[in-house]
Amino acid sequence: MTVHHRAQDHVASSLDHVIPNESELTAGVLIEPGKSYGFFTDTTVCIGCKACEVACKEWNNLPADSIGLTGQSFDNTGMLSANTWRHVAFVEKSGTGGVRQQEQTAFQSGWLMMSDVCKHCHNAPCMEACPTGALFKTEFDTVVVQQDICNGCGYCIPACPFGVVALNPVDGKAHKCTLCYDRLKGGLEPACAKSCPTDSIQFGELADLHARAERRVEVLHERGLDSAYLYGTPGAPGATGDLGHLNAFFLLTDRPEVYNLPAAPTRASNRVKPSLLAGLATIGGLVALAATIFASET
Amino acid sequence: MQTMDGVITLVQESRFQLIDDHGVGHLFLLSHSASAEPSQLAPLQKRQAYVRVSFQTAPDLIAYVAHKIALHPSTP
Repeated sequence: MTVHHRAQDHVASSLDHVIPNESELTAGVLIEPGKSYGFFTDTTVCIGCKACEVACKEWNNLPADSIGLTGQSFDNTGMLSANTWRHVAFVEKSGTGGVRQQEQTAFQSGWLMMSDVCKHCHNAPCMEACPTGALFKTEFDTVVVQQDICNGCGYCIPACPFGVVALNPVDGKAHKCTLCYDRLKGGLEPACAKSCPTDSIQFGELADLHARAERRVEVLHERGLDSAYLYGTPGAPGATGDLGHLNAFFLLTDRPEVYNLPAAPTRASNRVKPSLLAGLATIGGLVALAATIFASET
Repeated sequence: MQTMDGVITLVQESRFQLIDDHGVGHLFLLSHSASAEPSQLAPLQKRQAYVRVSFQTAPDLIAYVAHKIALHPSTP
């Protein structure tokens, strides 16, 4: 493992200042406005430790929610919500169909784990649906809800094809992952990626991440894991329906639905024109029918 | 409504952490009907002002819902 030459500048265990452009040391990337940044989540190395969830809650001062046991999984978080912006899904593949398998596959022992997050879509449907402009694209090509502009209308919630955005009934506003916008502005890697012990969550410039992900898929194929594929990269599953591409994309080994991801997500705005035309056609048809009945009776 | 005195040490959007007189940290969410705006939290944190928060418990959350924040009566 190579150590970045700048690491030699900060050898003390206790620092009295923030390291400038710290992301260069922790993620190997310099954060600059005007470039596209995102997450590459390699689910094959996720161990379900939930360090990302904890780091997200710690940095963003988010409270624990859904207190208690779900009773249906070892995963006690359950889902993404207004107070949970990272969620590690535990998918148990063995034991389904009412029969508990006695043989485990060598790879991940029948468990699939995936740290889910806002996908920061290139053509973000939530942003298109927002009537106040509270949702905006940042200088890092990420999507953020500006809290003082959000009026809590909730239009962004059904618009999101991934079910990410949620309203908090306490403050009445929409919340989701900001891809640590405040940390990016300070030259820091997002908290979840920095805390990931296996580098399942990798932060970086999008073009670099795409190349890294494609190499990883090739390596997995060479090792015999033919089911590995990317979800959310240009032209791949997940980047359908005019979404362009997802800034937070994934390496999966099973169908998207297994991970609670849509197989072919679409932009809600794509359905406006056909819906409107169908409505107008219905009204026209009813008027024509009424006119016909009226004419026949008179 | 219950009250708690302390100093606001962390602010993120409408969420803030209050350190009480015993040095214990508590997480609060500012209610949508609170007599304070999220933009008023950061100046209080910067000033390290001693405040009194009126709050209620939140259902299914490990946090409190703040309804009113005022400078502590002992503040000159």
